[in-house]
Amino acid sequence: MSRAGGRKKALKQRRPRAAWLLVAPTALLLLAVSIYPLLYSLRISFFSWELTAAVPPAFVGLENYVRILSDDPRFWSSLSKTVYLVVGGVLIELVLGVALAALVVRCGKGRSVVTALLLIPVMIAPVVVATQGIVIFNVQWGPLNYLLSLIGIDGPVWLGDRHIALRTIMLTDVWQWTPFVIVIMAAGMQSLPVDIYEAAEMDGGSAWRIFRHITLPLIQPLIVVTALIRSMDIFKTFDYVYVLTGGGPGSSTETVSLYNFLQGLEFFSFGYAAAMSYIQLIIISVFASVLIRHMRKGLA
Amino acid sequence: MKSRGPKILTYAMLLLAILFFVLPVVWITLTSFKSQAEVFSYPPVFVPEHINLRHYAGVLSGAGGQALRDSFIVAGSNALLSLVAGVPAAYAISRWRIGGQHFAMWILSIRMFPPVVSAIPLFLLFTNLQLLDTYLGLIIAYLTLNVPFVVWFMKSFFDDLPRDLEDAALVDGANRWQAFVRVVVPLAIPAIVSSGLLAFVFAWNEFLLALFLTRSAVKTLPIALSSLVGGHEILWGQIGALAVMAILPVVLLVMLLQRYVVRGLSLGAVEG
Repeated sequence: MSRAGGRKKALKQRRPRAAWLLVAPTALLLLAVSIYPLLYSLRISFFSWELTAAVPPAFVGLENYVRILSDDPRFWSSLSKTVYLVVGGVLIELVLGVALAALVVRCGKGRSVVTALLLIPVMIAPVVVATQGIVIFNVQWGPLNYLLSLIGIDGPVWLGDRHIALRTIMLTDVWQWTPFVIVIMAAGMQSLPVDIYEAAEMDGGSAWRIFRHITLPLIQPLIVVTALIRSMDIFKTFDYVYVLTGGGPGSSTETVSLYNFLQGLEFFSFGYAAAMSYIQLIIISVFASVLIRHMRKGLA
Repeated sequence: MKSRGPKILTYAMLLLAILFFVLPVVWITLTSFKSQAEVFSYPPVFVPEHINLRHYAGVLSGAGGQALRDSFIVAGSNALLSLVAGVPAAYAISRWRIGGQHFAMWILSIRMFPPVVSAIPLFLLFTNLQLLDTYLGLIIAYLTLNVPFVVWFMKSFFDDLPRDLEDAALVDGANRWQAFVRVVVPLAIPAIVSSGLLAFVFAWNEFLLALFLTRSAVKTLPIALSSLVGGHEILWGQIGALAVMAILPVVLLVMLLQRYVVRGLSLGAVEG
């Protein structure tokens, strides 16, 4: 509401000439540190640019892109693992997040304490989470399998089994980011108008029916935005795999970001790595443009 | 009111969830105080017998001291620079819609790029400019993350800030600049501090760009931690101590900034 009011006034207020001066440094800065490197990278992506070889970079046109898309099974394999993480992670985080948020909004005054506790995992560096994950997931002396054994569960080989390791990465992401979803959803639910609920309760709706037919549709835009934010983040998964598994066992946890990193800093194929990063950029842009469209709707 | 049964069930489930999310952090903290024998014992020792500060001293005199210093220098300078560049721009964009909505969205989209996209060209450019493995290089690289963040965060703050007070100052004969410095900035201090601290945390936690752009002269905390884990003899107590030092400022900030954190992490898409 206040935004709409502000906008009307904005039209009335004259734009001072100096306003450009406030924006110019930022615009120039971003052109220099972000747009220029990006264009530079686009150029590199059309070259065969091997830092290890003595041969100078040579223009190869679209060859890097063609090779990645048609002749690099390792790329497709890393992409499919990344998509698996995105789909599984987002689904679990949303379901758990919405369900737990419904509990959080019911706990009244304790809510701000609960929120503060939940935000701790969210703000910790993923690398810190991953280094400690090595201990927690350890099969011989780690606390997780010990706790599971207390309730009679024979814990899996979290990081050493190629059929499990990718799911362990997903579990790590779920641990760190579900609290973020809970807090967002709780804030959304809290801001819903109370009178709708009172009316529904008077009509004798059960808690589940009220949740299903009133709460869920009302927070649906929030769910969409959160799903997009989490999808983009999980798509970039790098820190967990680099520290927890290094992409292994085999290449069972090699995400696109990790493979892209290896092409750059381990194999020094910069043309190829740049092309691969552009393919990632295009995929992310699809998510980003949908997200931005949703955010615009929110602003209008 | 509803019956008590479901209420107790609600609390029980919530408690279980909170334990799940918080216990690993408690575990990390406890590990940092354990003796080496306690770290590897099975069944695991959860609470150490003595509070042992040896690991803190050990890691601070080694890789950890440098890492703390480097992380503070890089994250601190980067956050300050991001504020200096971002706050005035955010104000102009919010008040006069400079560049229209496309410009604002363009800035936002830079924040969403995968870091590897800028890491590769920055690595090559920095090699030529001799900025590889320097504070300045990493500080510049993190501007791509934090300037868009500050602009976007502060824009949403200025959008909500009523302009009546500025207008009153203008009527009283102040010029635009005076109105901005004397009226707007004081009102915006909490938001400016919050966005600066969040930018600090983002730089503090960042890993991929640091991996590309630094070697040995500059070693931030995430880099130091990941190399401690990769070593021959893994000192889990020291790793725990360094992890606690990496977490501590962040936890303090969460307590201080609770309501801004969600807004910040969702780039203003969600009001906290």
